[in-house]
Amino acid sequence: MPILSFVLKRVIQAGFVLVAVTLFVSFAIRLTGDPAVMMLRESANVTPEDLARIREGLGLNRPFLVQYWDFITGLLTGDLGASFFRGAIGPLVSDALGATLLLALTSLAVSLVISIPLGIYAATHRGSFGDQLVRVLSLAGLSFPNFWLGIMLVLIFSVTLRWLPPSGFMGPASLIMPAVTIGVILTSTNLRIVRTTMLDVLSSQFIMVARAKGLSQTAVIYKHALRNSSIALVTYLGLQFGSLMGGLVVVELVFNWPGMGTLAIEAIAQRDYPILQTVISILAVMIVAVNLLVDLTYMLLDPRIRLE
Amino acid sequence: MTTLHTRLLTAALAASTALVAAPALAEGTLTVAQRQDPANWDPTDTFLVAWGSVASNIYDGLVRRDENLELQPGLAESWEVSEDGMTIRFNLRQGVSFHNGEPFDAEAVKYTFDRLLGEVGAAGPQQSNYTTVESVEIVDEHTVEFKMAQPDPVILTKLSGYGAMIVPPDYIEEMGQEHFDMNPVGTGPFKFVRYEQGARIELEANPDYFEGAPELDKLVFRFIREDATRLAELQSGGVDIVSDVAFSAVPTIEASDNAEIVAVSGPTIYSLALKTKDAVTEDVRVRRALNMAVDKQALIDAFLAGRGTPIASLQGELSFGHDPELEGYPFDPEQAMALLKEAGVAPGTEMTIDYRAGNSTFNEVAQALTGFFAAVGLNVGLNPIEDGVFLNEIVPQGRTNEMFQFSWGGWTFDFDNTAYLSYHEGEKWNPYGTSEEMNELLDEQRSSPDQALREEILQEVANLAHEEAYHIPLYNEQTVYAVADRVEGFVPAPDKRLRLTEVGVAE
Repeated sequence: MPILSFVLKRVIQAGFVLVAVTLFVSFAIRLTGDPAVMMLRESANVTPEDLARIREGLGLNRPFLVQYWDFITGLLTGDLGASFFRGAIGPLVSDALGATLLLALTSLAVSLVISIPLGIYAATHRGSFGDQLVRVLSLAGLSFPNFWLGIMLVLIFSVTLRWLPPSGFMGPASLIMPAVTIGVILTSTNLRIVRTTMLDVLSSQFIMVARAKGLSQTAVIYKHALRNSSIALVTYLGLQFGSLMGGLVVVELVFNWPGMGTLAIEAIAQRDYPILQTVISILAVMIVAVNLLVDLTYMLLDPRIRLE
Repeated sequence: MTTLHTRLLTAALAASTALVAAPALAEGTLTVAQRQDPANWDPTDTFLVAWGSVASNIYDGLVRRDENLELQPGLAESWEVSEDGMTIRFNLRQGVSFHNGEPFDAEAVKYTFDRLLGEVGAAGPQQSNYTTVESVEIVDEHTVEFKMAQPDPVILTKLSGYGAMIVPPDYIEEMGQEHFDMNPVGTGPFKFVRYEQGARIELEANPDYFEGAPELDKLVFRFIREDATRLAELQSGGVDIVSDVAFSAVPTIEASDNAEIVAVSGPTIYSLALKTKDAVTEDVRVRRALNMAVDKQALIDAFLAGRGTPIASLQGELSFGHDPELEGYPFDPEQAMALLKEAGVAPGTEMTIDYRAGNSTFNEVAQALTGFFAAVGLNVGLNPIEDGVFLNEIVPQGRTNEMFQFSWGGWTFDFDNTAYLSYHEGEKWNPYGTSEEMNELLDEQRSSPDQALREEILQEVANLAHEEAYHIPLYNEQTVYAVADRVEGFVPAPDKRLRLTEVGVAE
């Protein structure tokens, strides 16, 4: 049962991480400011009684651990409760999560579709003009700040050409520019990883053996080399997931994409603790889950890891 | 970053010569883009101007305030205020229904205020604006009487907005509070159709509106946080009106051939408050010197694209209590230096401005201010602070540096709103105190039903504050809209509410 115990161990570890993250987030945001003050910031005639009344209405006068316990039990039983300002959190978060995942996965797909073939091409034609071009383009892609790239795309395709809607989420056309913006950034690094690891793998002994057995170039590359170099790519994608989520916040803002980043930014501005702690907890669960998944994928890709 | 975005976009837009006419949007539909999604449509739950601009189309109050800030009949046809200001009797409009068919009557008015002043209102920010109302009594089906706990000279104005919007009792009782938050029903010129959080709210014309159906068939508000993205939507024909236009983008819109700038004096003023205790600014001569060091018009020209007016007190010209006779301190660096010298402030003395980091225009203004202060020999640093921290931890606790941002815009346009919380003892924007005389003046006008007397006192308050130089009043900014050429009859109100009954769109 090595797999089962491995998975179990990882799940327990993940559990600890989540408790630590949620506890820290819930605690820390309560130190940064009072939602009652934020609510009444535009009001004149605010008395201390007004503030106390609102705090009581929002349940903020209860001890921290009681508030935390309510939040955690709610999270576990699927009852996300209500925001301070915006009604039930459940539908709010599920809509935003859907939008963010759609954007993240599309960007990832865009990036893989471009980076894998180009990376293989660059590795198998090392030193050629094509290889040089791929490397220069990927460096250029890395050098764009993503919000700048987003704005340039809007200027070209929305303002000047009027082909695509500049913001919001109104059908598939809305997805193109944000997905390309993030996709380009992802592609640049993925491309370099694919190229480097392919070069590494292609020079190893088992590839020479495979070639000596008379396997075709296609079989050598796609059956043997790609599978072996994909471990590095999968690891990298797993690690990248956290920063991908971070990068999404900025891109969501530029394109007014109704995702988790937009939701979190609004919640921070208003000190809407319930939304913020829910959003961050869900992102933490996802990052932990993706990394768990990455560990499990290794076992599929490399039988040796299963035995350890 | 917002500024950077706007700049990039502005530059690129200016360079782009290929701006063509907007593609026709749906017939009879007008789309407005604004920065903020109020996220909750219950009148008791909001504290945002962004709510007012949308919800003025859905709800009505007993009183309506028009584009000239004059009070007009709303759901009440007429009213009488008693001599002592302790009762107000409203004669209600007859034959009006809510959008769900429920009749509007005295019952609805009573329900609205019982709710606002009771448990539901207690968890929201609006209740505190209406605590001068003791209770609402039903006289007959079409007459109500407001019993006041104390006279409130601004109550009629306050009944024209926000928390005082009349809500449908049966609908709320039947569907529940949470449903009402997301599915508003009122008596206004537009009916609620659909709301997507963070994205848009769609309204349709109410053909039975008591003042006649609006011009438009459909009205859509989109919520777009980024300044640059809102403008890109306008330029690409996705929206017709953009509110909260950044001043840095004004020249771009002015130069474009499919949209124009429409601006109106707004309620918002910007100033620097001065620390009157335990600081070098304790000395009134220093505070006056700081006032004389600043060229307000230069700030307006450089950073507001000229869309503002210098102010001498913490109010604009439209404010009740504005004294046209009161002149601000002149821009006079030499006299400022003389005053500093007299007060024993050595050249090179260090001071710091605390300000709210979120506003890109004020960021630039603050930087320019350090330049003005440097010119009179002071070494002034900047301390940008996040909104929540600034409002919670810094100002009310009296932990500011020598100068700190005070910007305010009460939608009532009554100087009492701003003056009381800036100068009265114990108020959050007055952590260092003013004077007993000031407290008395403020209290006196607050309890007086005599408007002429109030105006006189409020002007006195402004003059006293000027004399003591508690602040460096900077400017009253205009509210700037970018409006596509297809829009007809758009007249914005100074209070930032967008009531779009008279607006149409060209086909």
